[in-house]
Amino acid sequence: MKKVGIYSYLCVFLICLCSCKKEKTIDFPTDPTPYTIVIPKFFPTNLNIPSDNPMTVEGIELGRYLFYDGRLCGKKDTLMSCGTCHNPSFSFENGTGFGIGTTGIPSPHVMLPLINLVFNTQGYLWNGKVEKNSPFYSIPGAYGGNLEDLCWMGVYAPHEMNSDTNKAKATIQNIPMYPPMFKKAFGSEEVTFKNISKAIAQFIRTLISSNSKFDKYLRGEVNLTIDEMNGYAYFNTEEADCFHCHGTILFTTNGYYNNAKDTIFNDTRDRYAVTLNPMDRGAYKAPTLRNIALTGPYMHDGRFKTLDEVIDFYSEGLMWSAYADPFMTYLNDGGVQLNPKQKADLKAFLLTLTDSSFISNPAFSKPITLP
Amino acid sequence: MKMKKQIHIILIFFIFLFACKKEINEDTPLTKETGKIKFKFTHLIDGIPLQKDSIMYVNAAGNSYGVFDVMYFVSDVTLYKSDGSIKLINEWKDINYVDVDIPSTLTWDVYDEIPAGEYDSITFVFGIPTEKNKSFMFVNYPEVNMMWPDVLGGGYHYMMINGKWKDSSGIANNFDFHLGIGQLYHSNATDCIDSIYAFVQNYFTVSLPGSSFTLLKSETKEIEIVMNIESWFKTPHNFDFNYWGANIMQLQPAMQVVKENGYDVFTIGKINKEYK
Repeated sequence: MKKVGIYSYLCVFLICLCSCKKEKTIDFPTDPTPYTIVIPKFFPTNLNIPSDNPMTVEGIELGRYLFYDGRLCGKKDTLMSCGTCHNPSFSFENGTGFGIGTTGIPSPHVMLPLINLVFNTQGYLWNGKVEKNSPFYSIPGAYGGNLEDLCWMGVYAPHEMNSDTNKAKATIQNIPMYPPMFKKAFGSEEVTFKNISKAIAQFIRTLISSNSKFDKYLRGEVNLTIDEMNGYAYFNTEEADCFHCHGTILFTTNGYYNNAKDTIFNDTRDRYAVTLNPMDRGAYKAPTLRNIALTGPYMHDGRFKTLDEVIDFYSEGLMWSAYADPFMTYLNDGGVQLNPKQKADLKAFLLTLTDSSFISNPAFSKPITLP
Repeated sequence: MKMKKQIHIILIFFIFLFACKKEINEDTPLTKETGKIKFKFTHLIDGIPLQKDSIMYVNAAGNSYGVFDVMYFVSDVTLYKSDGSIKLINEWKDINYVDVDIPSTLTWDVYDEIPAGEYDSITFVFGIPTEKNKSFMFVNYPEVNMMWPDVLGGGYHYMMINGKWKDSSGIANNFDFHLGIGQLYHSNATDCIDSIYAFVQNYFTVSLPGSSFTLLKSETKEIEIVMNIESWFKTPHNFDFNYWGANIMQLQPAMQVVKENGYDVFTIGKINKEYK
C-alpha cells in the first residue's frame, strides 16, 4: 500500500513536470551558418535584410554561384546570368549604360551599380518601385519589396533574361551540384525560384564598399591632396552643393529628385509613375557616387558620357521647370557656376571615391568553376 | 485512512502549484506615481494646416512662397513642475527628429516615466546643443540626411525648410531655408572656407506659453506642439528672400535673423488625456 502511494506521487510529479508550458524551440531542418555583416565605421546600422531571408554562409555562397551562372536564364541556346551585365569591374553594372537582354531589348534606364544596397531602406531602382514599406509597392507575385524581387524581375523581364521562373528552377534543379547546395542553405534539395532569389539577394547584400581613398582618409590612414581637399570642400558647401542629395557616408541619401535636366517629362518609369505625386515628375533616385569613375554613362538615360559632362551640367546646364527639386537652388542661374579649377578639383575629389579592393574582391567574383 | 487521503490531495495540490514556471513581469512597477507623455507635432501656416508643394502663401516681406519639405530637431525637452523640480526628457532619447513627410515622426511617445503632478511649463532646445551635435552620431535614415558638413561646423542641420518663392520678376525660385551651425569669415568671401575663423551655435531655447498641465498617475498626456511656419519669416525681422537669397547655410547674418524669429514660432496646441 505504501509503495502504491509513493509511485502515485512520482507519477503525479512527472505528469506535472511534463504538462507545464515549455519554451518552444524551433527545429531547423538544416544548420546553415549564420553570417553577420561587419558594418564599416560610420555606415548605417539599420540593414535591409528581410526576416524571412537571414544571411548565411551557405546562402551567400550559393547566391554567388547562381549570380554568375548563365544557365540561370533556363534557356537551352542562351546563357545569361546576373553577372553577364553586373560586372564587378564596373561596380556591378556594365560600364556601357543600358543593359541588353536576351532579346536585344535595352533596359528602360541605364543600369545602377550593385554596391552597398544592404544599407538602402528607401527603395530600389531609379524610381524606387521596389520597396516593401511603400504604400505604392505592388508587384503581383513578387517576393516582398526587396532585392529578392529584383532577382525575380531579372529572369522574367523582356529586357533582361526574358525567361520564366519555372524554366530557371528546372534548369538549376538538373545540375547535380546545386541541389546539395540548396539543401545546405535552405534545408531542401528541391530548387524553388523563391530560394534562388533569396540566395542571390544574400550575395548581393554582401557587396559592400568602404575602402576607397576617401574612406582611408576618414580613418586617418592617408591624406588627400590639396586639389582633392578643395573638391571635398566644394562638394560639401553651397559652392557645388552636392551633399544635399549625394551626402552621407553612402554618398547618396537614397532619395528621389528632379535634378533639372529636362523641361518635358514623358518617362513612364520616373518617380511620379510610382507615387503619382505631380511634384515627382522627372524625379529619379540620386545614385551613389562611390565608384562613380567606373559607372558611366551618367543619369537615368546615360546622356552624359563623362564625369566632366556631369560637372558641366551642374555648373551651367540646369534647365528650369516647376518640378525641379528645391535643393536645386542655383536653378535660375543655370547652375553653380564653377570655374575650371573648381571643376577639376571637384572631379579630383570624386575620383577618391573609387574602391579598387571592392571591384577585385575574390569573395565577390565569379567562381573559378561553375557546377 | 480518511486522513491519509486528505494529506495526499493536499500534497498533490502543492505539487501542481509549484511545478509550473511563473513568468514574472519584472517591468511592472510595484507602485506607479508616474505617467507618460506623448508629443504631437503639427505644422500650420497662417493658422491652417500646411499644404505642401504649391506656391500659395505670402510671407511678411511680401514674398509669395510654397513649402515642400519641413524637417527639424528638437532636443532637451524640459518639464517644469510647480514645486520647482524639473524633468529633462533623456532616458531613451533626448534628440527628436520631425519630418512632415514621415508620419511616424509626428508623434513622439516619450519613453521616460514622468512624475505625476502639476507642471507650469515646457521648454525645449530648437536644434541640437553644441556638446551633443557631433558628426556621425546619426548613421541611419532619416536623421543621417540632416548632416551638416564638417567644413561648415559639422554635426547636423537643426532645420531644413525647402520650397519655392516668386522673385520680384514673378519667376519661381527654389530656396533652402536651413538652420545650423554658422560660420564667421575673415572677409566677405563666404565661398572661401579657408577664411572661416569661428563657428556660431545657432540653436536656441523655446519657451512655450500656455504649456501648463496636470499629469495624473498612470495617465498618458498628449501635448500638441505647433510650428507656425509663417513666423520664421517675421517678428522681429521680416525675412525677404529677395534680399537673403536661396541659400543661407553660409550666411550667418541670415541665420541670426532666422534664430531671432524662431523664438515665437512654436505654440502649444491641445493638451489632452490619451484615451486608448
